Parts: sequence; structure tokens; C-alpha cells
Amino acid sequence: MSKEAHDRRRTLRVLGTSVAAVALFATAGCSASSDSGSGDGDVVLEFAQWWEPELPDGAFRELMDEFEAENPGITVELLSGPYASTKEQLFAGAAAGTMSDVVGLDGAWVSDFANQGAIADLTELMGESDYDDSELASQIQVDGATYMIPVVNFVYPMFTNDDLLAQAGVAAAPTNRTEFTAAANAVAGLGEDTSGWILPLSLEAPNGIQNDVMSWVWATGGSMLDDDGQPDVTNSDVTSAVEYVKGLWDDGAIAPGAFTMKEQDKVEEFTNGRVGMMIDSLAHINLIRESNPDLNFSISALPADDGFDGERGIPYASWGIGVADSSEHKAEAFKLVEFLMSEKTNSKLSSIANAFPGNTESVPDFVAEDELFATAFEIYQNGYPANEFTGLPVAEQLMRLFDEQFQVLLDGGQSVDEMLEKTQEAWLAEF
Amino acid sequence: MTTTTISRTRQRMTKKVLVILGLLAGAAFAGFPVLWMLAISFKSNTEIFEYPPRLVTESFSFDAYVTILTDPEKVRFFVNSYVVSLSVTAFTLVVAILAAYAFSRFEFRFKRPLNMIIVSVQAVPPITLLIPYFGLMVTLGLYNTYPGLILTYMVFTLPYAIIMMTGYFNTLPRELDEAVRVDGAGSMTALWRILVPISVPGIVSVGVYTFMIAWNEYLFALTLTKTQDMRTVPIGIQLLMGQHSYEWNEMMAMSILGSVPVLILFLFFQRYFIGGLTSGSVKS
Amino acid sequence: MMITTTTTLTESAEPSAPPPTPTPMQGPARRRRLGHPGEPYAFIAPTAVLMLVLMIVPIVLVIGYSFMDNVITKKNPEFVGIENFVEVLTDGVFATALGNTLFFTIVSVVAHLLLGLGFSMLLNSPLVSRASRAVFRVIYILPWLFTAAVIAVLWRMLLNPNGVVNYLLSSDVEWLSSPSLALGAVTFINIWAGYPFFMISLLAGLQGIPADLYEAATVDGANGWQRFRNVTLPQLRPIIISMTLLDLIWTSQQFALIWMTTGGGPIHVTEMLSTFTYKLAFSRYEFALASTSAVIILLLSMVLAFFYVRHQRARD
Repeated sequence: MSKEAHDRRRTLRVLGTSVAAVALFATAGCSASSDSGSGDGDVVLEFAQWWEPELPDGAFRELMDEFEAENPGITVELLSGPYASTKEQLFAGAAAGTMSDVVGLDGAWVSDFANQGAIADLTELMGESDYDDSELASQIQVDGATYMIPVVNFVYPMFTNDDLLAQAGVAAAPTNRTEFTAAANAVAGLGEDTSGWILPLSLEAPNGIQNDVMSWVWATGGSMLDDDGQPDVTNSDVTSAVEYVKGLWDDGAIAPGAFTMKEQDKVEEFTNGRVGMMIDSLAHINLIRESNPDLNFSISALPADDGFDGERGIPYASWGIGVADSSEHKAEAFKLVEFLMSEKTNSKLSSIANAFPGNTESVPDFVAEDELFATAFEIYQNGYPANEFTGLPVAEQLMRLFDEQFQVLLDGGQSVDEMLEKTQEAWLAEF
Repeated sequence: MTTTTISRTRQRMTKKVLVILGLLAGAAFAGFPVLWMLAISFKSNTEIFEYPPRLVTESFSFDAYVTILTDPEKVRFFVNSYVVSLSVTAFTLVVAILAAYAFSRFEFRFKRPLNMIIVSVQAVPPITLLIPYFGLMVTLGLYNTYPGLILTYMVFTLPYAIIMMTGYFNTLPRELDEAVRVDGAGSMTALWRILVPISVPGIVSVGVYTFMIAWNEYLFALTLTKTQDMRTVPIGIQLLMGQHSYEWNEMMAMSILGSVPVLILFLFFQRYFIGGLTSGSVKS
Repeated sequence: MMITTTTTLTESAEPSAPPPTPTPMQGPARRRRLGHPGEPYAFIAPTAVLMLVLMIVPIVLVIGYSFMDNVITKKNPEFVGIENFVEVLTDGVFATALGNTLFFTIVSVVAHLLLGLGFSMLLNSPLVSRASRAVFRVIYILPWLFTAAVIAVLWRMLLNPNGVVNYLLSSDVEWLSSPSLALGAVTFINIWAGYPFFMISLLAGLQGIPADLYEAATVDGANGWQRFRNVTLPQLRPIIISMTLLDLIWTSQQFALIWMTTGGGPIHVTEMLSTFTYKLAFSRYEFALASTSAVIILLLSMVLAFFYVRHQRARD
């Protein structure tokens, strides 16, 4: 009894002491964190992005150090977050007026942030600083003004597991839909654990619609929009692509688990040799090599419709850059944009990111050094970058709406025509 | 006489076997996924998705742990998480015990509306509060500070802690503390000297849970901080889930590392679950 | 902290008087004179201030948004009355989400309660040695220790068509991707992740049950089940009610786990009120509609809160 009482009193004392200690901690932390920036009257640019953790350790900081050396008086503070949450963070920041001066953007968000008035009109900033934009590969515009500049682009060619294809008796990577179907079914027929193609349709990150479904439309030079930029998913290009994918699904050529699969899962399955073909970002080449050095794979252009010989669109995703409208240092912020888009920096960044440069003059090292990347660069130059979702309002929601209807279709709940009509209707409501 | 003893012993044995079987089944249910997590943390990223899956592979290594523990930025995440979670636990307990005492032992005018508010505010999806809340924290100058995070989590954990502590206090006979007050001691004395000491098991369980909520929260931790030196473990883990690929083994290793100290803490506090109350101390 | 004076009539003040030596009650008249009338408010004050500033203010803002159009995304939102409520309530997906949330929540909470009760009884069993109970306790709280993102990722991996679970069962089921199984699968994951909350609280509650109650019951000839029904359950009742209420509210807004395993899919089979609301805010940029949805959820839970408070009053 008395021991227990003693114990309890001791616990209380411990509790009290820890409260006091913690209070001290908290105050210390408060004062430590309140001295932001340097006291020299320098401009501190906040740069919010998800790129730093994606790149080799310290590589992005090095580029920023170069920028600081070239621009005395400007310091760059890198604020890095996880990619999946970047959009919400920017949104909250914009609402509270605390958005970072320079922000990393995805093409799918541009229209929303521009309409919100969160990001600045870059056309205006270019004019103010007499910037020559002729070297820029592309600019993402909303209502005629540029709001985002793609810094580097990740293109999505077709990856093939050459050993699996050979085993299935397929000699060369398919170049058209008929060959692709034959190859996919042949690989799927190899055994329980192998599939011909892999299709991520997760509704959490519905970009599979952009990269793995719409890519079939673009590869044949088609479009999901009409001439005025309005939705037109019931046209023959989209219909034939959707019918085609549905055909592969019904053949059982597609890997299981598609409805909740994400891009990362797709790559893991391919890397482990269970999938014959996938459409995927070049950013993964090194990852696949590191993870499975024995995997014999190559890349080629996306198969087009039989007999198509026009220019093929290649889907891509960008790391884009924009400037916060609320920034007090827009001129300095634009200097950072200029720096990242300069031939030299852009070459370097695209080299470390394994991406294609946003500056037409830049050439990343890996194109000369690496056969696979050289092939990819060739494919890239023979076609044109295609991503019709970029710059559309609520682009991610559009993919999600399409995805939902598409899942109903694959699940046997509706016909292709019904699916496309419903999607068209849902899309029109968002425009 | 002897036969009844034997049958009773046999009955006891059967019971014991059943209890142990039940415990083992539960342990498999609870522990297997975590065992798998542990296995992943020792694998290379390639082997994680191999089929058929194996628990232990050739490339067994502590690399993931070494990578995390030698990265000062990641170690800082752990420090931040401890500072924040321990503070939240301590402050929440004190504030909640006071409030729970009032709810459990007093009648006052706004008792029911207050109770109702405390219960129902928890139901607002945090994601919708995010934006107005963020604006508020910026206005109050608490953005990117420890106090900002600590106060935020206190607001999240207080309703729970108050409801649970009220529940525990309600299980204790009123006569116990009223007797002391009748003897002339103040309410504070009755609370801290009588109620709190016998509620230690309840307090520990509320404390552990408060700690876990603060430790595992992600969304507000990310939104209310901006620099790496303020960020917590869940953000560190999510930073390993990249746009294109995940660092599976490091992610799992970081989760395991985060859980070990909590387990130790739990082991330490366990005696309060075992000891309990002697039958004499709460007789009324 | 704030209250130091109390007015009592008894002269013999002995502030530090442990251990408790209960004196027989001297009638209700005595009770009324205890304490200053303002005392409970002082005890509540710290909580009230915190909740008012950091919880009520944002909630009031959200309620305000729910009557506006295009908040946050436009500079000058307009007042639109109950238009948003009509739009959300007539959205077919909202009904689906409500139904799924009910299923998910009720099944999860019942399972949490049963598992929590079962496990805590096992862990408290005197038939097993102290040391092994300690080991089991540690194993049993494991699901608690991880952030939702990790739990989601881990289970995605386990339930992958080429994952461990299918390997162990020699099956090839698409646990999370099949429209007929997905809701059950996410509910199962949530059950796994959430039962330790009940278990720990009940374990703590079990320690508070006076042993002589069991002794008395045994003397009266009660068997194990009768002792459980007539002693254990009634004694744990206040804790069980509080926890069930909390768990109902928390489970009904579980977001991260569902979002990161299925994203509300396939199609809408795991769509919950939380994922529905999230998509309104961050996929459609309709923050006003998201606020409306939040207010509806708040109103629904007020019903729960009302019953809880009434129950408390009835017990007093």
C-alpha cells in the first residue's frame, strides 16, 4: 500500500517535471524558429517544390548555390514536400496569402491556380525583364497568358520486357495496335503470373488515364478536345482507343489489380518481370536498372493505329515552374526562373532528373552516353509532346471522372458509347 | 473430493490452453503485418515485390536504418516528433483532467451544451478545416513553430481525453473524493491527491493514445510547417513516397524506428495496467 | 492551477490527507455546500479558451463558407443561401458515400469493440504468467504505432494480387481492386488498425473493477460467463459507451487509410463522406461545396452527440 502510494507520487513528480521541461522546449523552439531569413537585408526567395527529394541528395541545393553565387543579394530557401500533397499545400498557402515566391507546378494544376489568382502572369514578368522566350520548348497558357513554364519533361514511351516477349515468340516490339494485341496476349498466355500489359487506374492518382489510356489517342494523332478546346470524348479517335483497351481487358491481357493500381506499382510489377509491356516515364529507367540489373528491356514509340504514318504524340509530364502572385520579390523570383531555364542549368537539371529539357538548346548528358535514352530522344524528336490535360480546368478531376466511367465499362456495367457519353456530359459540366 | 479437484484442475488446464490459443491467434492477426514490415525494412527494394514472397532474403542488411540514422535531417524529424508529441501529451492530460473533473463531479449551467460541443466538433472533417485553420495560425504567428503544432494537436486530442477521463472518473465512487472535501480539503486536493492517483491506469491509456495521435498526424503537420527543421516523422515517411517511386525499405525502417521508443515507453507504463487497484482501496 | 480557495464549513482542514479514508456520507444537504459555485467554470476554462479560438472559429468560418459560392477560389464570393446544400444532398454519389460510411463505421466499431473486449480479457487472464502477458500486450498494440500512410502502403502490398496474402492462401484474389470485395477489404484494414484503442482503454478499465465484486459473485455461485455479464460488463459500461461514441465519430471520418488504399474506388464502392468531401475541395476546387458537406456531417454527428449527452444525464 505505502509502496504503491509512493510510486504514484513519484509518477506525479515525473509528470510535473516533464510538463515543465516540455514547456521550456516549446518556448525554445518558438524563439529558435522565429528568426527566418538572413539579417543582411538580402532578398530571401522561398521555393516550394517536390523536386529536391526526387533528385540525388544535395544535387538541387547545388544548383541553388550556383544561382546565389551568380546573384549576390538573393538567397533561395528550398521548401520541399511530398509530391502527393504539394497541391493541397499550395492551395492552402494561396488562400492564406503565404504562398512561396517560386513554386513547382504540375501542368494539371495551372488553370486552377491561375483562376484563383494565386500564380502570376509570367508573360508580364517576361516583358518587364526583356526575357527572350524563343528558347523555351513550351509555355502553359491560360486565356492567352503564360502561367507555367515546363522546366523539364518526362516523356512516356513504351517499355518492353524483351526476354518475356522472346519467350512468348514475339521477335520485335509491336509498332501498331494489332501487333500489340498479339504480343500482349502471347505474353499473358505464358503462365499464371505474367501479363501482357499493365494499366494503373487508381482513383487516388488518376493520371493513368492521361498516361496509359489517352496516350493511345494521342499516339495516333488524335485528340480528346474539339477545335475550340472543348471536350469531345465521343469522337472516333477516343472511341476506338477506348474500345481497343476494353478489348485487351476482355482478352485478359491486362495485369490484375488495375482498379487500385498506381504508377509506382506498375513499375514494380514490370521490374519484377511479370509484365511484358508498359507505357511509362523515362524517369524510371535508372530505377529499373538498379532494382533489377538482369532485366532485359528496351523502349520504343507507342503503337499507333494500324496503317497510321503521321506524327505520333507522346504523353509527357512536366516539372513546371511558376511565381506566386502574392510574392513581394517577383523580379528576383523571375531571375530564378530564368536561371533554371538557361541552357546550362537546364542541361544539368535534366541530366540529374533523367528528363528532357525545357530549353530547346539544352542537351542532357545522358543522351550521348546512354543508348536507351538516345533512343528515347529520337522518339521524342520524331513525334510531338502531347498532353491535352495540361492547362485544362480541374484537370485531375477530369481524369477522375473519365476513370470512374471507364471502370464501370471494364467491370461490364455499360457499353463504350454509354461510357463516353456520360464522360462527355460530366466533363462539359466542369468547363 | 479428489475427483472434483482433479476435474477442476483439468477444467483449469483446458481453460488455460484455450486462453493461450486465443492469445496466439490474436498475436498472429496483430503481429503478422508488422512482422512483414520488419522484413521489408531489411530487404533491398527489388526483393520486396518478388513472387513467391520470402520473409528473409539474401540481401538482408541494415542499410535502410543506417541511411536514416546518419541523415541529420531525418534525425531531426524524430526529435521534432518527440518534442511535439510529449508536450501535447503532458498539456492535454493536465487540461483534460481539470475539465473532466468538472464534468464528472459538478452540476453547472452550461454543462450539457459544452459537452455536446466537445463531442460534436470532432466530427468536422479535418480536411475542410485545413484552409481556415491555416489562415488562423498564420494570423496568430504560430505558423512553422512548435507551439503551433502543439496547440493544434491539443485541440484534436482534448475532446477525446476529456470524454475518456470523465468516463474513468465516473467509474469511481463520488464518496471517495467528496469525503476529502467534506473534511475541509479543496477540490484541487481532492482531484490531484485522490482521484488522479487511483485513475493512473486510465490516465496512462489516455496519455498513450494522445501521444499516438500527435505522433502519427500528417496533414496538419505538413501544412503548419514549412522548413525541414520543423517537420515530423510522418512527413519524413511521406517524403520517401516519391512522384515516381517509393523507397520501400527506408519507409518501413523509419516507421519501425519511430515505433520502438513508443514500445519502450509502453513497456515502462505497463505496470499500471497490471497492478491495478487492491480490493480495499475503493470500497465504499 | 486557478482555483485555490474553496468554502467548506468543516474546520479541521487537512489539505494533504492521503490515503483515502472514506467517511460515511452525511446526507445530500452536505453535498450542496461543497465548493464555490464558480469552480467548475474555472476547471473548464483552459479547455474552453483553446477550443473556442482554435476549433470553434474555424468551424464557424466553414459554416459560413457553406452558404457562399466559390469561396477561396474567387475574391468576392456571393451568398447563395441553401443552394449548396441542395446540390450536395441531391448528388447521387453523396448517398452512396453515406451508405458506405455507415457500413464501414458500424462494422468497424462493432469489430473494434468485440476484439478489444476479447483481447483485453485474454490479456488480463490470470491463467497466463505475467511475463507472457507483457509480451502479448506489446504485440497486440503494434497496429497502433504506425501512421496511416504506412498502414495503407503496407496493406496494399500484402493484399496485392501478387502479394503475401494471396500467396499464403494460394489464391489470386484482387482484394482491393474488385468492386465486390474492396469495401470489405478496407473495413478489415481499419479494424486491424483501430482495435488497440478499445483494447487499451478496456484493459485500463478492467484494473478498476474491485476484486471483491468478483469474489462476491463467485460466492453467490456465478460461473465465468455470469461474472462477465453481471460484473465486468456493467463496470466497464461507462468506458464502453464513451469509446463507442468516439470511435463512431472517428471512424466515420477516416480519410487517409481509404484514400491511400483505394482512392474511393473501384468506381464508388469505397467512397466515404470523407473522400467525397476531399474531392470536392481539392479535385473540383469547390471549397464551398466541401464546406457544405462538412456541415452536413457535423449535423449528423450532432445527433450522436445529443444521445450521448442525454445518456450521461440519465445516468446522473
